[in-house]
Amino acid sequence: MVAEAVAPVEAQAPTRPRIRIEGAAKSFSGRTVVDVDDIVLGNRPIEGLIGPNGAGKTTLMRMIMHSTSLDRGKIALLPPGGGEVVLSALPAHRMAGHGVVKSNQVIMDFPKLTIWDSLLLAVAEARYEQPARLFSERAVFKHHEDEIRHHLDYFGFTDPTSFAMSAGEKKLLDIIRCLLLRPTFLLLDEPTAGLPEDLTEKVMAVIRELAAGGTSVTVVEHDLKLIWNLCDEVLFMAEGKVILRGDPKSIRENRTVVEKYLGEGHV
Amino acid sequence: MLPSFLISGLFGVVIVTGLALLLHLQLGIARIANFGVAGFYGLGMYVFGVLYVQVDWPFGEPWQFLACAITATVVTGLAGLVVGWLIADLDTDGVLVGTLGFATAVGIVATTQKEWTGGAEGMGGLGFPYDIGTVKDNEFVWLAITTIVVIAVLAYVWQVHRSPYGRLLIAVGGNEPLARSLGKPTFRAKLWLFAIASAAMGLLGAMDGVMAHFLDPANIGIDVTLAAIVGLVLGGTARPFGAVVGVILAIGFFDIVLQFWKFLPQEWYAQEIPVLREAVFGAMLIVVLLFRPLGILGDMRRDKLMRRLHGR
Repeated sequence: MVAEAVAPVEAQAPTRPRIRIEGAAKSFSGRTVVDVDDIVLGNRPIEGLIGPNGAGKTTLMRMIMHSTSLDRGKIALLPPGGGEVVLSALPAHRMAGHGVVKSNQVIMDFPKLTIWDSLLLAVAEARYEQPARLFSERAVFKHHEDEIRHHLDYFGFTDPTSFAMSAGEKKLLDIIRCLLLRPTFLLLDEPTAGLPEDLTEKVMAVIRELAAGGTSVTVVEHDLKLIWNLCDEVLFMAEGKVILRGDPKSIRENRTVVEKYLGEGHV
Repeated sequence: MLPSFLISGLFGVVIVTGLALLLHLQLGIARIANFGVAGFYGLGMYVFGVLYVQVDWPFGEPWQFLACAITATVVTGLAGLVVGWLIADLDTDGVLVGTLGFATAVGIVATTQKEWTGGAEGMGGLGFPYDIGTVKDNEFVWLAITTIVVIAVLAYVWQVHRSPYGRLLIAVGGNEPLARSLGKPTFRAKLWLFAIASAAMGLLGAMDGVMAHFLDPANIGIDVTLAAIVGLVLGGTARPFGAVVGVILAIGFFDIVLQFWKFLPQEWYAQEIPVLREAVFGAMLIVVLLFRPLGILGDMRRDKLMRRLHGR
């Protein structure tokens, strides 16, 4: 069971997609990395997932996306209209189709694709990516140009016809790709790691805007200032389990969190 | 009219260029290391040959040729689908061994199924789907037809680079997990690519069978795969014209230049040259990979292409 922190979050009617994780466990070489009993993500617009290194946060994110298989348990998407989609039974490439999208903790890119290419890849519909549809580039570009330019201008890409060179550019590109997929449930794994402050602010603004539009967002971050400022609820994870959840203030002042993660000086 | 040796030499260059272009789609773009080119090419050649020679067709040429060639292409495509399904999710080593194993199996079947293929002794009876006069005239026309087919393959590959499909294949080759996370069915993409390229390799095998007139297992040895790989690596795996340039330089040198200017001792031409060819191809691979791993034409400049297609 997940303990509620001092000030419990008020229960709300599910008006946005949620993800239910039931008895999900994962071990590597006999060591249990994740063992989550029963939690629901997405009760609040923006939720933060924090915990010390090795707590299992990134593995849990990967399990949700089914890029890491579960040893046991079940992970399901609960759309606001009712019903459920068992994500842990779907292949990884089907997640985006259900609106579940994740940015990557480590920098990931397509080394042979330019910035434009990378973004056009994200938005291109499957019907255009067929061996017999070789003359559809113009249609894809025309259909998505404004949307892509909007993001490129917002984040200040100067030459998007070239390749993403710096780690920061690749990180932003990863986030823009996620945005272009129009997620209903967005998982962000350290989205601002390595970004300068102005771009971090821009990323936070985009996340807020997205959440206001009905997207559920879960952020894994070590930048606690971002977590306290951005999140409506925070989940604290340690040794593979989510052991505490509550509003940012209550988590920040909780003795367990202070002792296991924050240290006395942080409060 | 071209001399016979030149028609034969050019035909070899054209066929291997076609195979290298198809390999460019698999290896150069999607990073699928198909080491079984000779298997798919050989399957197409033998299916065509067996159907052409062993079946009593109720219609004449060119329908007999078309029926046999289409069937050979479809059968090879289906074989590509099965092999692709088995290897698509394997790592590079697995793909390499799996495809090489397939090529070996095709070679063994061609050698052992004597009643169908003639076994090691070979099988004759293949001919051109037309007769316009002398053998040389027929060969020249067949060279022209095959060249048109390979130009069509080149045009297809060239356009793949300018399409969303090509972008998907590059993404699959560059970072498959990331492509998958963007909702791309990478397994299916690799499977179809493998099946289509295999089918086209089978068609080229069938067309080569027509020119050869006589099929024996030596036609479908590892040297076919080696020639396509050497040509592609020499010219540059990332660019469509890499296959063309590389094959013209590598195969053209041995099959045309050496045959035209016979500057080597005459007695070498019977046995030593084919062996020397394989040795030089191997050495060429090593030298290119050591000193110019991206080949003569270098890497594909996607940034320039994007500027050309969409402006800044």
